[in-house]
Amino acid sequence: MAIKEDSEGAGGEAPTLFLRKATGLVRGWSVRDAIIYACLSTNIITLGIYEFSFNSFIPKGQLLTAVLISGVWVSFLVIAYTGLIVTIPRAGGDYVWQSRILGGPVGFVFATTGWWFILWLWAPIYGTVLNVELFQPVLYTIGAKGLASYFGSHNGTMTICLITIALAGCFVSLGMSSYAKMQKWCFAGGMVGFVVIVILLLTHSHGSFVSSLNLEAHKIFGINNAYGSTQKAAASISYAAPAFGLNAFGASMLLVPMLMFYLLWPNWGSTLYGEVRGANDFKRVFAGMFTGLWLTVGLSVVFLLLMLKTFGWSFYNNANAVFWAGKASIPIWPYPMMMAGWLVHNAAFQVILLLVMSLWFFGWVGTLFLSSTRVIFAAAFDRVLPDAAASVSEKRKVPMASLFLMLLPAVALSAVYSYWVNFATYTLDATLVIAVTYLVSAFAVVILPWRKPELWASSAASKFKIFGIPIVPVAGLLTMGLIIYNLIEWLSNSAYGVNNRGSLVFMALLYVLAIVLYVVARLVRKSQGIDLGLINKEIPVE
Amino acid sequence: MRVFFATDIHGSEVCWKKFLNSAAFYKADLVILGGDLTGKVMVPIVVRSGSFDVTFAGEALHLETEEEVRAIESQIRNRGFYPTRISPDELSTLNEEDGSIDRRFTSEMIHTLDRWLDMADSKLDAGKIPCYLNGGNDDTFDIDNVIEAAPHVNFTEGKVVELDGFYLASMGYTNPTPWDTFREESEPDLAKRIESLTNQIPDMGRAIFNFHAPPYNSGLDEAPALDETLRPKHGGAVMEPVGSKAVADAITKHQPMLSVHGHIHESRGIKKMGRTLALNPGSVYTDGVLQGAVIDLNEKKKKVTRYILVNG
Repeated sequence: MAIKEDSEGAGGEAPTLFLRKATGLVRGWSVRDAIIYACLSTNIITLGIYEFSFNSFIPKGQLLTAVLISGVWVSFLVIAYTGLIVTIPRAGGDYVWQSRILGGPVGFVFATTGWWFILWLWAPIYGTVLNVELFQPVLYTIGAKGLASYFGSHNGTMTICLITIALAGCFVSLGMSSYAKMQKWCFAGGMVGFVVIVILLLTHSHGSFVSSLNLEAHKIFGINNAYGSTQKAAASISYAAPAFGLNAFGASMLLVPMLMFYLLWPNWGSTLYGEVRGANDFKRVFAGMFTGLWLTVGLSVVFLLLMLKTFGWSFYNNANAVFWAGKASIPIWPYPMMMAGWLVHNAAFQVILLLVMSLWFFGWVGTLFLSSTRVIFAAAFDRVLPDAAASVSEKRKVPMASLFLMLLPAVALSAVYSYWVNFATYTLDATLVIAVTYLVSAFAVVILPWRKPELWASSAASKFKIFGIPIVPVAGLLTMGLIIYNLIEWLSNSAYGVNNRGSLVFMALLYVLAIVLYVVARLVRKSQGIDLGLINKEIPVE
Repeated sequence: MRVFFATDIHGSEVCWKKFLNSAAFYKADLVILGGDLTGKVMVPIVVRSGSFDVTFAGEALHLETEEEVRAIESQIRNRGFYPTRISPDELSTLNEEDGSIDRRFTSEMIHTLDRWLDMADSKLDAGKIPCYLNGGNDDTFDIDNVIEAAPHVNFTEGKVVELDGFYLASMGYTNPTPWDTFREESEPDLAKRIESLTNQIPDMGRAIFNFHAPPYNSGLDEAPALDETLRPKHGGAVMEPVGSKAVADAITKHQPMLSVHGHIHESRGIKKMGRTLALNPGSVYTDGVLQGAVIDLNEKKKKVTRYILVNG
């Protein structure tokens, strides 16, 4: 049986290709699913507003301006990755793209650092977010002050990191089937929570917020005049938030490297797109990531405008600035959703709202180790890692060895993160190392038309042109520009907490570890008569 | 003895050419292609007076020279599709007449296979490099006689053949798929088919199973879970085992030295099942990359001494 198809949507009546019945003619990932995935990856609640709180480190930067600049610039990354997905689809993401286009050692080093090693650091970062957005606010709200302050201690931070690692490990162990269902419900619930926040902030005035803040902060933390003391504390550290606006382009550019912490990930699901046949698929893949990215940008803009309207821009920024300066009267991170909940003077409502908003966390934490286990499997199948690294338990098919390779270092780094204060400031290292991996993939897409001309010529990605110039390699160049700009800022400006000796040594060690692993593997396999250099050598065609 | 095994090239001409060159490239003593040779898609090139119209990779092209058409045909073939030159009248017939698309498809498939087998004659040094092909579930039965008749290629579907002291048992049939393809049958029937092969093998210590379907729940058979409309569930993040229980049982029971598989393109991997090394090199034929496995066998030790999965 065969079917005819006007598959490319060219609008003509005649079919442009015929398909016969065969395995794997699967429809691609729906745009809606892709949007949800991209939106949860560029997570406004867990990553976005947490990073917004560091605005005071770039005192003249405008978040609104920076969010929009970042959205536009990251859109080119979306185009570049769409080009890679469409040209070399469903094949393992950055590892495969870099290995095919730039060579196996390059693919191994940048995939292991960007998709495996650095995720050890994401575990304590996620733990911190869980702590400041759920555990501490809920515990204080229900009056469990002792337990809440425990989670503010070194031991408490370590405990929450272990909980996060266990959660992520459990989700991998239990399989993605039930988690993927849960993820959709989390997104839906999280959006409902966001809408409730929007309604609360729209229907209450700034004056009402100030009185609610003072009332609830007194009730929960025993603080008098929380609003006034916050403003006073900001003055004591000589911090003055800039007036809100869509301006200060130069200073706002300095916020872009911070905002990459959440806006750089619309392509996180790039390995999950289906078989690609033509231009419609290019548009579908692009639409999923692009809409997800701009949905997050839209939510960010809404959030910032609501902060301006109800919290007051000065208070919102001052609360964050004094917290990071250690001068805050409120003893925990000023989670905006917690303070929005205070507009309703009911502890049960406040707790429920915090729980609903935590769905943004639970909808994403399960994928923390997922990509890592895939990279470990791919490296084991390439014989770079021992075969045992890809082993799975007989009964439940749990990838024990790869989980072990993720969990143990994550626990060790969590301990360093929890007990050595300086290390917690290396948060943006987690973004930097993945950005370097993206930089290499962006370079791969730029040279793709020359390195693999036949593959490029037959790809739908090569057909999209402006003034005769293919847009995908150009988007790759602009993506490289974005990441190189960020790298320069991260490495030269101390505001980001990256360019200090310890941080640089930490990141350098990750690359050294990857290189050493590859070299050792190559030597060991050579002694076994296996040439790892063969893995990606192309067989001549003629 | 060094074996190169690849599978599931699905009509990709560039992958076929690479397969024919693989023995020299990897210094293999013999090459095996484990089924699903034929393509799934046919692209009409509408021939008008003095010009040609074709839509490929999303781009509607109006071509005027034979050279341009050949260049596009080459791209289409390398992608695993069959280009078919067709008049506007013939295109209307294809649209309207029942079975006409199938007939045209079969014709293009056989024509392509004939060309491929001609290439094999020269590339395989007139049979000095042994080459073994078998069917896959996506291959129609029309190809069997064509390959059987080829002078320098061995068609091993449903046979056990001896290779320098080893026994290669080949089967392109799989357990049922959602697409109701050509060579698939129920697990009990598959078990009987496998048993008829294993009965012919005198020494399992030297046996190679070349079964298109991978063993169930081995990690070599993970495909995206699909809903009723064959769309991946949950964005493709959820994988499920879709291999054959009969194949898994046969490996567990007989413990051949080596078991090579294909069928599930995205499930490239290696699995030790008792003393058996089972592997699936996967397939990315649309990229023009030939994924395969280079495997060294030691006849005296009756074991696989070295193996590596490659992207050639």
